Amino acid sequence: MDIIKILENTISAFFGIDAAYFALAAIGLNIQFGYTGLLNFGQSAFMACGAYGLGMTSQYFGVGMWWGILIGLALVIILGLLVGIPTLRLRADYLAIVTIATAEIVRLVVRSVRFKEYFGGSDGINSFSSSFRDLSPFDPGAQYGVRPFQYSGYSLWTMIVGWSLVIIFSFLVYLLMKSPWGRVVKAIREDEDAVRSLGKNVYSYKMQSLIIGGVVGMFSGMIFALDRGSVQPDNYSRDVTFYVLTALVLGGVARVSGSVIGPMMFWGLYVFSDNFLRELTKDRPFEMFGIGIIQKSQVGPVNYMLIGLGLMLLMTFRPQGIFGSKEEMALDGR
Amino acid sequence: MNNSKSRCFAVARAFAVVVGALIMFSAPGVANAAESENSIVISVLDQANNNGVSEKIPVAGVKVSVTNPAGLAIGEGVTDSAGLATIPVPAKDDYVVTLDVASLPSGVTLIEGTKTVVNIVKDSFTTNSKRVTFFAGTAGESGASLFDRVAQRLVDGIRLGLIIAICSVGLSLIFGTTGLTNFAHGEMVTFGGLIAFWFNVLLGIPLLIAAPLVIALGGVLGLAMNGIIFAKLRKRGIGLISQLVVSVGLSIMLRNMYLYQFGGRTRPLDDFSLQVAKSFGPVSITMRDLTTAIISLVVLLGVATFLQRSRTGKAIRAVSDNPSLASSTGIDTQKIIRVVWFAGGALAAMGGVFRGLDEQVGFEMGSGLIFLMFAGITLGGLGSAYGALIGGFFVGLLVELASLVVPAELKNAPALLILIIVLVVRPQGILGRKQRVG
Repeated sequence: MDIIKILENTISAFFGIDAAYFALAAIGLNIQFGYTGLLNFGQSAFMACGAYGLGMTSQYFGVGMWWGILIGLALVIILGLLVGIPTLRLRADYLAIVTIATAEIVRLVVRSVRFKEYFGGSDGINSFSSSFRDLSPFDPGAQYGVRPFQYSGYSLWTMIVGWSLVIIFSFLVYLLMKSPWGRVVKAIREDEDAVRSLGKNVYSYKMQSLIIGGVVGMFSGMIFALDRGSVQPDNYSRDVTFYVLTALVLGGVARVSGSVIGPMMFWGLYVFSDNFLRELTKDRPFEMFGIGIIQKSQVGPVNYMLIGLGLMLLMTFRPQGIFGSKEEMALDGR
Repeated sequence: MNNSKSRCFAVARAFAVVVGALIMFSAPGVANAAESENSIVISVLDQANNNGVSEKIPVAGVKVSVTNPAGLAIGEGVTDSAGLATIPVPAKDDYVVTLDVASLPSGVTLIEGTKTVVNIVKDSFTTNSKRVTFFAGTAGESGASLFDRVAQRLVDGIRLGLIIAICSVGLSLIFGTTGLTNFAHGEMVTFGGLIAFWFNVLLGIPLLIAAPLVIALGGVLGLAMNGIIFAKLRKRGIGLISQLVVSVGLSIMLRNMYLYQFGGRTRPLDDFSLQVAKSFGPVSITMRDLTTAIISLVVLLGVATFLQRSRTGKAIRAVSDNPSLASSTGIDTQKIIRVVWFAGGALAAMGGVFRGLDEQVGFEMGSGLIFLMFAGITLGGLGSAYGALIGGFFVGLLVELASLVVPAELKNAPALLILIIVLVVRPQGILGRKQRVG
């Protein structure tokens, strides 16, 4: 077993692009779920808005990549209104059901053959990132840095952009939550009726929170799409939202630091578990007392089982995560 | 405080349960999940001709089989929503692929000149999988009349609706009695299908004997979910939203446990898998599907009678209506909740067996239905058992009828749109009580 390699991969995963795009998605989800108490289970759909906003510039509109941000914003606002109008007046679990259902509709539509000319079907969309690639100051072919922090020029470029966005949005969210707006949404999480009695339009604040969180999620989808150089419908399945949620809960809900460090730890742990199990089963299935426990093809499911178990245990025993405080955990609005 | 100590114990216990489950499952699992190296991928595509624009639409639900040149069966499958069926074969060898023309959806016929039998020679395996494509063409108006197509969809919709109704009764009752929106309910359906597969295919027990066992085990799974997890959470006073998130974690864990154990392919049950459809006027239905539909209907009527007439049924409705009032009249609320979890798990497992007969058994069969179940119980009224019956039934009907208008790959979308519309127009659903839901 190559322990050095496992550790190297784990350390680099803490700062990798996956952690960056998860952090952006988690910051968005934190605005909705952590601060406002909105149970958005469709963050992957907002991420898809960003990714497809970029992709459609080349696939459908034939305009430059930067228009993608505008298209993405338009899609996010449409989606936010569509999901928010029917549900934000209702109990939290309705929002959960409707957002997850909407995310599924979005995924079905973008991967359908019927709308292939707009969204590329199940093959997705490629070749939209050249203008982003051209901006890169690094040589895309060359390797930079030393192991375990060694990246190709292009990965380094997306990582720098991704983490810069994480820092910018963390700071903005920090300021936002210190502002009167932030105090209102936190008060909505604690007691909606009290806020209403002060003459605030709760519905409108919730909608703003949903859309602002969705916009941050949109940038997450964009960074992911730019890094992979393609948009694939199945990268925006409902499970992505749940993994982001797990990462957020791990770091600590309703904390800016939690929404950044949670995803880093999530990816560190995930890559560690994945690499460890792969090394364990590299040559032959791992056995215990003569019973086969795990073989190569089962590494993936076991990783995800651990994520599910982790989410259950966290929610039960440490719902405030690592950095959160129990006082901020008034998730149950009823 | 020894709070942290008991917490450590609880964490350790949870791990022990998972490790134990892994060991318990893994004996047949490792052999089982090993995907065979070689396979034949059969793809059925409908080259619909829409206003001169040709597009290829995958055709789902077509039965295909692979035999060796001597006619000995190697494997069979049904195409999925991508129009694909993957049939593992033992080696790169000569095979014969046959498409069952009778299983083509009504209105779809093979293009003239397309053979229903394709011979594969050993050398044509360039990679481990060999692809065979059958091209179909929608016959359009000339194939089946609109009336015939509607009639066929109506029958299919009734069947799907009955299955969804059976699966979602438990979901709605659990919500009504405990307030929990259980995202892991789809995994209870999958459990039924997979255990039926285990009994029927791996152990060779006839399905008619295995099915009652499966249903009982489904009930036990429900009891276990309540006893090990959700009853504990209620006792600790953990909020409903947190419980919901726990059920999401449980759903992810169970689904991947199934994937770990069963592998990613979908497979048919042994019994009743080959059926010839009988025609009744414009519609055709296999005896198996007719039987499961009748059993479903009888079960649903039984559930409704039980809730309406029996003492326990009345108590369930009372707890659903108002838990504190019910418990103050001397109803043992916790016992009622256990009954509901048992019944919900058993019904979900039954739905899983029927669904497994209808389509195939796979690790995602239940999680694919959960959206339709949510749509059904929201339409019927969250928490109302009768609402779940009616709502689930209508959603199934809607999904099948929608496939007349929208492409098959999008046929679930209208049901999910209905969910959104219901919440705007009448959030309490058809039978829900008008209460403050905000």
